[in-house]
Amino acid sequence: MSHPAAAFSPNLTPTLSQELADAVKRHTLDRRGFLAFSAKGLAVACALPVMGRIGAADAATPPTGKELASAYIHIGTDNRITLIFGGCEMGQGAMTGLAQILAEELGIDWSQVNVETSLADPVVSYLTGGSSAVRGRYDRLRTAGAAARELLVAAAMSLKGDGNRDNYSVKSASVVHTASATTWTYGALSTLASTQAVPADLRLTPPAQFKVIGKPVPRLDIPSKVNGSAKYGLDTWLPNMVFAAIKHCPTIGGTLAVTPALPGGAIAVVPCKQLESRGAVKAGTVNAVAVVASNTWQAFQLAARLNVKWTLPASTVDVDSGQILATAKQLMASGTGVLVADPVAPAGYTPASYAPVMAQQVGALMGTPTLDATYTLPYVAHGTMEVLACTVNITYNSGAIVGCEMWAPTQSASWASGTAAALTGLPATAITVHTTLLGGGLGRKIEQDFIAQAVQVAMAVKKPVKLTWRREEDIAHDQYRPFALVNIKAKLNGSAVTAWSSRNVSQAILGQRGWLPPGAVDSQAVEGSIDLPYELGAHVAEWVPLNAGIPVGFWRSVGSSINAFAVESMIDELALAAKVDPFQFRFNMLMEPRTIAVLAAAEAMSLWRKTLPAGHAWGLAFAHSFGTYVCQVVEISRNGSTGINVHRVACAVDCGTVINPDSVEAQMQGGIVHGLNATLWGQVTFVAGKAQQSNFRNARVMRANEMPTVTVKIVPSTLPPAGVGEPGVPPVAPAIANAYSRLTGTRVRTLPLFPGVTMGGL
Amino acid sequence: MNLNVNGKAYTVNVSADTPLLWTLRDVLGLTGTKYGCGIEVCGACTVLIDGQREHACVFDTSSAVGKKVVTIEGLSADNSHPAQKAWIEYQVPQCGFCQSGMIMSCAGAMNAGHHGSEIMPEMGNICVCGTYQRVKDAVAKL
Repeated sequence: MSHPAAAFSPNLTPTLSQELADAVKRHTLDRRGFLAFSAKGLAVACALPVMGRIGAADAATPPTGKELASAYIHIGTDNRITLIFGGCEMGQGAMTGLAQILAEELGIDWSQVNVETSLADPVVSYLTGGSSAVRGRYDRLRTAGAAARELLVAAAMSLKGDGNRDNYSVKSASVVHTASATTWTYGALSTLASTQAVPADLRLTPPAQFKVIGKPVPRLDIPSKVNGSAKYGLDTWLPNMVFAAIKHCPTIGGTLAVTPALPGGAIAVVPCKQLESRGAVKAGTVNAVAVVASNTWQAFQLAARLNVKWTLPASTVDVDSGQILATAKQLMASGTGVLVADPVAPAGYTPASYAPVMAQQVGALMGTPTLDATYTLPYVAHGTMEVLACTVNITYNSGAIVGCEMWAPTQSASWASGTAAALTGLPATAITVHTTLLGGGLGRKIEQDFIAQAVQVAMAVKKPVKLTWRREEDIAHDQYRPFALVNIKAKLNGSAVTAWSSRNVSQAILGQRGWLPPGAVDSQAVEGSIDLPYELGAHVAEWVPLNAGIPVGFWRSVGSSINAFAVESMIDELALAAKVDPFQFRFNMLMEPRTIAVLAAAEAMSLWRKTLPAGHAWGLAFAHSFGTYVCQVVEISRNGSTGINVHRVACAVDCGTVINPDSVEAQMQGGIVHGLNATLWGQVTFVAGKAQQSNFRNARVMRANEMPTVTVKIVPSTLPPAGVGEPGVPPVAPAIANAYSRLTGTRVRTLPLFPGVTMGGL
Repeated sequence: MNLNVNGKAYTVNVSADTPLLWTLRDVLGLTGTKYGCGIEVCGACTVLIDGQREHACVFDTSSAVGKKVVTIEGLSADNSHPAQKAWIEYQVPQCGFCQSGMIMSCAGAMNAGHHGSEIMPEMGNICVCGTYQRVKDAVAKL
């Protein structure tokens, strides 16, 4: 690719951001959501909204005039231009995408932009999740970039004494007075610019004139990822550091009975308490011990062999897959649920007041359902390539803790700072969190368990310490994608659906965190089961809370990956019952040109499905998540009695305005692999409180040589950018199940398709 | 024990059976070689020993004495190894954590005389991000 590279510093020398953060604390942002000030040049602070999933500001929320800054654009007097940003890079290309948005509006070349991740400070960082890293920040960053550009132009105008804005243009980080060809670099204007007023008209670049947005510029972080120089959480290396490994009570809910004696060769054994309740694991209980040694391997060995006396919970009934399934079936049959209707209700109703009306209509129209099927999905681990790891250095003055510095691969530096504050008693100002690169996040690295353990170990050993989880701990002590039973009933009239109801029995991810008011529906459980793109007649969804003790969490695409399996399998079952081609069946029900275009693109991409060899079959699924529509068509064949070959996946996607088409393609390719891992093999089962899987050998994932050929087609759109990191996942499982049904004549309603298939060594 | 890593001589004081992975990472500070599973399944720890692919997570440090160890940091000084160039051209990495091992596997397969589409079957490395399509495209040109 011909674009020269811009630069990316994963906060190895984050000197600038602390200075800016200190400066901005004296102000709040203005009504338009930004603030310009002088800091060795021009700084423009802006508030890039936190993710919508967990609360706080929604992506579409207008500025309030009371926000704190979460990103900065800095134009140095030396002409160095930097975007300082508080989120994380976990492979999704967010930093590159944000840099593209800035370069576009600021009027600079791609090679002139630098990106730094900021030091975590409650003021400057936020969560990365919900596929929000770019989509939620597009408008705000464009506006702030344009404001910075207009301040620089205003500075040039005051120097030139020509107040007509139309006589100036910007190019390659310079302002040009067109008539006289007078040129000023941004650096030369930066200090004066910081004293100018931001004009009302920011002259946002019309999309038709975009030069950087929408282009496949190379990712900023890739050069460092092909030579070993990229630093992940696992790679932090400090002078005099010691190395710790964690050992949890193998029975979930068990606690430490007696602190074990120090084994030979160990530096320390540190009991670690859990800060937040997660199912059977209760806040305040000591559910793990860390073993500290002089290298990680030694710590791993000592931890694995450590003989620990645990106090086991009185009962493990709700931490046992067989028992949980039985309870869930009972709840499906007779449990009390919470009704959910589409988010937009007719006039005179709220969604909540309309749900019972819809339920009544469904009841009246359904009679005996044409189809009534229950789908079962297991608990699934994240298994990020980089296990959980966190490095902490506590500083002391006369024996008292005065500071805490942390290097963490975290999706939430702000929460990590809060965790350290809770444990050390330090104010936030005395805590520094460096967000390293993440070796995969997938939702797991939002959690605080590994952060809290590392802080506790560092407090105990009074030396810099890196805590690392063995892979076995990572799989067996995850916060899993929830197990779910999903029942769908549907009524067909000819080839039209006239009534539809779904009932999801699952644990509440938000509820387990204490974020769910009593009687409220867990939004994570029902996403993907309501607000469907199809005309389904009278339709309603219901969620029945399941109280099990398994820790559950956010797993790439969360509820959408669960509900899409049930919904899109049922749609195919209905097409079969109506004797209509699955594409045609969906075309008949789709309501908007946008969704029809995505289905049509997938249909055109998969003409091969009409000439498949004997023993091969195709399957289709369509899903809407995080504002993005994805349709996938797969080709499979049998592989012995315990598997299938996946030959091809055609993937059509409409994710609104595209910032970087190459990143969109990469995220679709990756989402498909993630979905295939879960569809074919992914599950963690529990017997009497203990996870039965522990490493890739029995938590199998796809290998390189099993990769299908994936083709991705982006359906163009001028709508606002939507999510990209997660939406590739939900259609995979139903597309495979629908193909499998066509291949074998057997409908699969339980995931994974091939439980218990193990993986050999290399 | 005396080791030769990326052309440099090191003396390390670890037990003989310490896996080379942890000697590289925790003693020499060469963190480009990654821990993924510790049981020789994922390939994130792949290094070259006398030019051949080995999984450093199960390779005793003492067995590397007298041999030439090359890690991702030593593959080239400037991202100029053909595999590195192909990885950049095809924009392969996502999170990137498995990619040191991927590239070292590829380099080892090339050392063993494999080219182009012969390389992919040699590479069993696990990538949870799912960069396989691009790995396939990148190695096809080597």
